[in-house]
Formats: sequence, C-alpha cells, structure tokens
Amino acid sequence: MDAVHSCFKDKLGQAVLPGDVFSFAVSAVEDSAVRAEKVICGPGLRRNGDEILVCKSGILRHKAPNLYWIDSQQKRYVPVKGESVIGIVTAKSGDIFKVDVGSSEQASLSYLAFEGATKRNRPNVQVGDLVYSQFIIANKDMEPELVCIDSCGRANGMGVFGADGLLFKVSLGLVRRLLVPQSEIVKDLEKIFPFEMVVGMNGRVWVKAKTVQQTLIVANLLDSCENMTAQQRQTLFKRVAEGSL
Amino acid sequence: MAAGFKTAEPLEYHRSFLKENCRPDGRELGEFRPTTLNTGSINTADGSALVRIGNTTVICGIKGELAAPSTDAPDKGYIVPNVDLPPLCSSRFRPGPPGEQAQAASQFIADVIDGSQIIKKEDLCIEKSKLCWVLYCDIMCLDYDGNLLDACVVTLLAALRNTQLPTVTINKETDLAEVDIQHKRHLQINKHPVASSFAVFDDTVIIVDPTAEEESLATAIITAVTDEDEQLCAFHKPGGSSLSAEKLQDCITRAVARHREIGRLIDKVIESTKASK
Amino acid sequence: FVEERSGVGSVLREYGSEQNLLSKPDGSASFIQGDTSVLAGVYGPAEVKVSKEIYDRATLEVVIQPKVGMASVRERAREQCVRETCEAALLSTLHPRSSFTLVLQEVHDDGSLLSCCLNAACMALMDAGLPMGRLFCGVTCAIDAESQIITDPTAQQEKESRALMTFAIDSKDCSVMMSLTKGSFSVKELQQCIAVSQKASERIFQFYRDSVQRRYSKIL
Repeated sequence: MDAVHSCFKDKLGQAVLPGDVFSFAVSAVEDSAVRAEKVICGPGLRRNGDEILVCKSGILRHKAPNLYWIDSQQKRYVPVKGESVIGIVTAKSGDIFKVDVGSSEQASLSYLAFEGATKRNRPNVQVGDLVYSQFIIANKDMEPELVCIDSCGRANGMGVFGADGLLFKVSLGLVRRLLVPQSEIVKDLEKIFPFEMVVGMNGRVWVKAKTVQQTLIVANLLDSCENMTAQQRQTLFKRVAEGSL
Repeated sequence: MAAGFKTAEPLEYHRSFLKENCRPDGRELGEFRPTTLNTGSINTADGSALVRIGNTTVICGIKGELAAPSTDAPDKGYIVPNVDLPPLCSSRFRPGPPGEQAQAASQFIADVIDGSQIIKKEDLCIEKSKLCWVLYCDIMCLDYDGNLLDACVVTLLAALRNTQLPTVTINKETDLAEVDIQHKRHLQINKHPVASSFAVFDDTVIIVDPTAEEESLATAIITAVTDEDEQLCAFHKPGGSSLSAEKLQDCITRAVARHREIGRLIDKVIESTKASK
Repeated sequence: FVEERSGVGSVLREYGSEQNLLSKPDGSASFIQGDTSVLAGVYGPAEVKVSKEIYDRATLEVVIQPKVGMASVRERAREQCVRETCEAALLSTLHPRSSFTLVLQEVHDDGSLLSCCLNAACMALMDAGLPMGRLFCGVTCAIDAESQIITDPTAQQEKESRALMTFAIDSKDCSVMMSLTKGSFSVKELQQCIAVSQKASERIFQFYRDSVQRRYSKIL
C-alpha cells in the first residue's frame, strides 16, 4: 500500500505530461491481486499492467485514501456517467429529445425522465430550452443518455431552466474549480452582489443577476478567472466591488 | 474455417503465422515476393518498363520533351515524376483527383530522384539557357497489392535505363533545334537506387515486402533506398510505432542485400533485350 | 510566453512556444524555432463524417497550410508524416467514431519547418487534452558539404546541405517514430544524425515539461 503511494508522492501537485509512468516496486507488495485494487485511476490516468500511465498533461492530484487523477485545462467535454451538465435541446423526435452538451455526439433525453412525467402528462420542453441534467449512460461505445430525475424520481434541481440570464462557456478546469465545495472563486464573487448561477460539468455556465449589466459583469469576471492567481483575482474583484471598473 | 478466422480476426490470423516465423502466403519474414521485369513494353514512349512484385504491377513510361531551362538553373533540365493510383488497381482508390497516398508517392519518387542523382540534370541540358530535355516519368499502378514504393523505384530505374533520346543540336545559323531521329542514345545513368520496404507488426516483428493486407494491419512502414555504393538516398518512415536505431540498422542491412538482387535482375533484363535485338 | 535561450555551443536555435492562444479550437499552440514559426489548432473529439467514421478508433485529419498559395504535393507528403506520427502517439481507441482535426499553419519558414510542425502539433494535442500514450518531438539535421552535421538548420543551411533528415523522436525510449530524408548519405551518417536528434530531443522534452509547468503554475 505504501509502496503504491510513494511512487506518486514526489509528483503530487506537480505538472505531469502524457507518457510519464508511475511504476510501483513489485517486491514491496507481495500479492498482485490485492495491489490491483489499491489505486483508483481518475481522469488522465490509465493502468497498464504494473504501471500507471499518464495520458493527459496537467497536475497530479490525490484524494484520500487511494484516488489519483490529473487536473487539466481542457475545453472539449467528454461525457462521464453521473456528471451533471447544461444541455441545449436541439430536436424533438418521438419519445426523446436530442440534447447538445458540447461533446462529439448529441445526447438523448427521454421525455419520461422528468419529475412527474407520464405517458399522458408530457413535460413542457421546447427546442432551444436549457436543461440541467445528469448522464445515466456515458461510455465510448454508446450514445450518451441524460435524465432530469435522480434515482428516487425527484427533480432534485434538474430540469428546464433559464428563462432569461446568460449562458457562456469556460474551460473545464475552471468549472471544476467553481464546483469545489466552498469554492474560493464563488465566495469572492458572492461578495460583490447577489446572483444566481448554474454550472455544468461540460463547461457551460449560466448566470443571472438583478440587472443585465450585473449579469455581464459576473460573466466577464468568471471568464477572466481562467488564468489568474488567487491574489490577482482578489484585487480585481475588490476593484469591481468598489465600482472603479 | 481459416477464411472465417481471417475475416473476423485478420490481425490475430497474421500473428499466428508470424509466431511460426512465416507468413500467410508461405514466405519467410525476410523474403521478397518473386519480382519480374519487362522493359520497352510501350512502343510509343521513349522508355518504359513494367515490373511485378508478387501481384503488385506497376508500369512506367518516360517521355522526353524539349523546353527552355529555368532562369535560376540555366544548365539543368527537368525530371517530372508522377505516380498515379487509378481506381483500376484497387477498390481503395476512388476516381477523381489523386489521393494522399498517390501524392505522397509522387513526392517520394521526386525526393529519390533528387537525392540519388540518378540522372544528372546537367546531362539533360542541350544548350545552356536555351534548350534542355524535360523527362516526364509517369508511373501507373495496374494492380495494387502492397509495397508500391519498391515497385515504383524499380520500374523508374529500369525505364530510365531503357530510355533512348534522339540527338538534338542547335543550328548555329538559324538558331533552331535540329532533331536527329536516326541517332538515338541512352541516358547516362549516374546511380542505381533500389528501394526496400518493411512493415512492423505489433511494434516488434519486422517483415519485408508487405502485401496490401499486411500494410493495412502493420503499425509502421519503413522504406529504405540504397544505391550501389551502399549510400542511402532516402530513409522514409511516415510515423507509426517507434523503432530503435539497431532495428533500423537491420532494415538497412537487408536493403543493401536487396539492392544486389534487383541490380542483377535489371542487368539481366537489359542484357537480354539487347541480345534479342 | 515562454522562451528558452539555448546555451553556448548548443545545437538548437532559440525556441519558444505558447499554448492555448486561440479561443475557438479545443487546443492550440504556437512553436517557434529561430525564425521558423508554426501555429497549430486541434478540434476534437468532435462529430465525424459518416464516410470517414472508423468503428473502433477516432479519425485523425491533418491539414498543413503553407504561408502563401495552395497546399501542394509537398504539403500532402508532410501531412501524411505528421498524421501517422500523431496517430501512433494518440490513444485514439478511447474515442471511437469521432474525429480529431489538426490544422497547422506555417507562419514563417526559415528551415526545419517539418520539425517545427511536429513540435507545434504535439503541444497542441497536449493542450486539447486528447489522451496520448507518449509524446514526440521533431528534429531536423542537415549534412553540409564538409560532412558536418547541423541540427535545426536555417533555410540557407538547408539549401547548402548535401542531405537533410527530419526525425520524430518518441519520449518513451527516444526511438525513431518518423523519418523523412532528402539527398544521399551513408548509413553511418544516418546513425549519427539519429543519435544527435535523440540527444536534442531530451532538451525539447524538458522544454515541453517546463512550458506545461509554467502554464499550470497559476492554478496550483
């Protein structure tokens, strides 16, 4: 167990490149069957026999006890099961809606996958609507499928939203930073003025503040967070709050 | 059974042969397919040759035309190679403008001609900055079964050796070119490049002279062109799995041996056509 | 903007790169070697035309745009080399039935253009976050009339050279992924050039690492 972690240790929090390999000393761990279960490879890491191969550039992260992943600044979204995204309904065909989520393929969304929907009681969804929904099927060999209900049949915040407000795109890395519990960016932003925000894992962010002007300010600030250190961000936000920008 | 296996799992099918150090067509890993050559097959061209490597059939016609040399190289003639892969030769080629493979092959042949100095372009000049020969080397594939580049280089070399151009002089008084059809002479062949292609299977096993099927399953293709002084005129490997310097050296060693085989074949064919005349 | 000055007596020209400089593509990078400069953009994984769909892996398309005029046969041959090199580095089976598009725009050619294209391509693919099993870099070597090996030659040096070779070197074991040559040379010279390129590749890979490190230093 320790041998597994020690091979990652000195690279944690550092930039790694595709092709980098972490191999754990075989002698240190006796049973290979046990060893295989000791590490969970998150995004950007792949197991290859006794080695773990990095296949994306980014920063190596670790979550106790044994989850490792690469934090990268990607723009294109690749569907992952269980992730919540903002989709745009592009077509209605029979029993399903086609939803654009910004990936290589359009996802499908059944009209029965809404809270309280039955064969008779169809949900009111139009082409062009925004839906906040979750992937129930997402793998490379199948068409991705979305639902707007959780396992108990509740909406749980999902469904059609965004009558007005503004939808824009940011990098996937920024989205993840926004979605971290107690995200510092969100905390800093809340201090300026109140607003509503929906963040999808696919890089789409929807915001709505009291006025159009305020909405735009939030959108622009979020956009500029992309390549700023925490310090730079705080000074910028402070200046905005003081009304100097 | 075997046919079903081959269709369903072509890669596994080939692997099971390679494990036994042989190939589906009965060859060993380092064995070329039987190569046959025929020169002067096109009467209307100034020179021509037809080569078959296994099923792969490639024909080359050389046509000479007179032109004015370019201003930046007034003492040089032109050689214009072109490789054509018509839909006739394989179902993978579609009618229309040349595809990527045909264009890449044309560029490769042009690089080989430049690199090897097969013909000195100065030899094609008749009168400096006035008149020179343009050699159009049109190579056409009639049947595509892999290893196109090897066949193209052999047919090009044989066709150039077969080429006879009439003597041209410039009349000092009239300043016009006079062509003497009666007195034809052969081109001065400076170097004899021969290409050898290799395919890499599963990043490790190297086989020579791949068929079309083997090419499509291989992870990399290498083509080495050598001349009679064991100099390399081209070492072409468009991507694919990576190989160590030692493995590349093995390929070159095999290519040098192949040069001797092909050199003998061309000499024999040229001799026999001369004798029959 | 990251720039690195090569030390005294070293073999490569000054080189630099910038990632993520275009807003539209999913990944982009510029690469500069001396006065040679290439801009690369990557789109993908995106929707693929049915005629180009491959059922078990992604389709990669490479387009090289010259500075002036239309792409010619020479560009086609280069596209083939870049494409097959990228295909070997990418784990395209992870995105079946989708397409990757790599566009390389020549900004200025002062020699070693193909190696600059390869380096820009690798940086752009990394930036796009496409899954890769290894990295690659391009190195061009020229052999001049005195049989001296010049790495990363300028256009003038290329013109005066007797032979010109471009290699793509693999980051895993520094072996040769791609080779494209012009002119004639001995086997020994080829082996020497490969050795020199392998040596130079270590510096380029280190440069890749430094660039990525600098890029991510802001969000650490």
